Amino acid sequence: MKKLKFRADITTVTVVVFIVCIVLVSVMLMQFRTVEQTDITEIETMRESELRALLSDWKTRYEDVAKQLEDTNKRIEEYNKTIEDNEAAADLIDDELTESNILVGKTDVYGEGVEVTLSDGDYSDVNASHLIDLVNELRYAGAEAISINGIRILAMTDIVEMDSYILISLQRVQGPYVVKAIGDKDYMSTILQLKGSGFVDITSDINVSLAIKNRVEIPKYNGELEIEYMQEVVSE
Amino acid sequence: MIFIAIVLGCIVGALIGVNMPMISYTYSGYLAIAIIAALDSVFGGIASTLKKNFDLKIFVSGFFGNAILSILLTYLGQKLNVDIYLAAIVVFVGRMFNNLAIIRRYYIDKWTEKRQKSKKVEVKETTKK
Repeated sequence: MKKLKFRADITTVTVVVFIVCIVLVSVMLMQFRTVEQTDITEIETMRESELRALLSDWKTRYEDVAKQLEDTNKRIEEYNKTIEDNEAAADLIDDELTESNILVGKTDVYGEGVEVTLSDGDYSDVNASHLIDLVNELRYAGAEAISINGIRILAMTDIVEMDSYILISLQRVQGPYVVKAIGDKDYMSTILQLKGSGFVDITSDINVSLAIKNRVEIPKYNGELEIEYMQEVVSE
Repeated sequence: MIFIAIVLGCIVGALIGVNMPMISYTYSGYLAIAIIAALDSVFGGIASTLKKNFDLKIFVSGFFGNAILSILLTYLGQKLNVDIYLAAIVVFVGRMFNNLAIIRRYYIDKWTEKRQKSKKVEVKETTKK
């Protein structure tokens, strides 16, 4: 009886141990697999709260990176601005140079203006003082560029008469003398034709013809402009 | 008989464990505590067997009860924002070391007894000669 009971006990123990082993080993293996694969499928096996924590972490990191990006963009913008400023300065200098060249007479120019043609009269020839007077009057009338027979008249240009030849910048010119001027055509023509003082009106010994033109072309100065003596006064 | 049951149980358990679906990483923490509790029960059972006061009811109730209780406590700790599972681990692992020490001492005692016996036998044989 006692022995039988013991045997029954032993089978129960065996069955219980069997079940316990199954449960323990299966659960342990599950746990091992979970722990092992967690690295790979971390996000898939995570719960909402963990994902939320991770999300906030990434958000912070994202914000940091965004801030950095903004800083970098700002710096790039600054650089661009500097470059633009430099370009603007270069453009300004370029414009100034072009303007200076135009003013000085280093470029071919065109614009509205007048064309005055002088030719020898029946009793007297055209002389240098006629041309000088005309140029002077044109300048008074606001001419921006003047040429005589294709020779640009600059601030330094001399008009002289030697042995009945007229020399402009040491180049001999012959009649008829075509004086072109760019400026306000109406104003210039009015000034030239003023009764009693205008060049056209008071000059009667030679033939003068005035033409008002919408487009007058004046060539650039052919020679070289050299500065030999003068220097800029640097005021501080 | 029991050894066969253990081996078979381990094999079947391994097969089931391999084919089981993955559990969420969050729940793996609870499972780990349950495993520690179960292992504690197993070592306790072995120790009590060696002490010859093994009780099946205590073993089974300890095995499942401790596991479930530790899971519940861990859950409660998470709700309370207290790491109760640390206390559970300390208790269970401490007991595991205790039980392992009992098992170790038992076998060491057995081994030394055996050696002393064989020595005595040798001594007896030499005296006979």
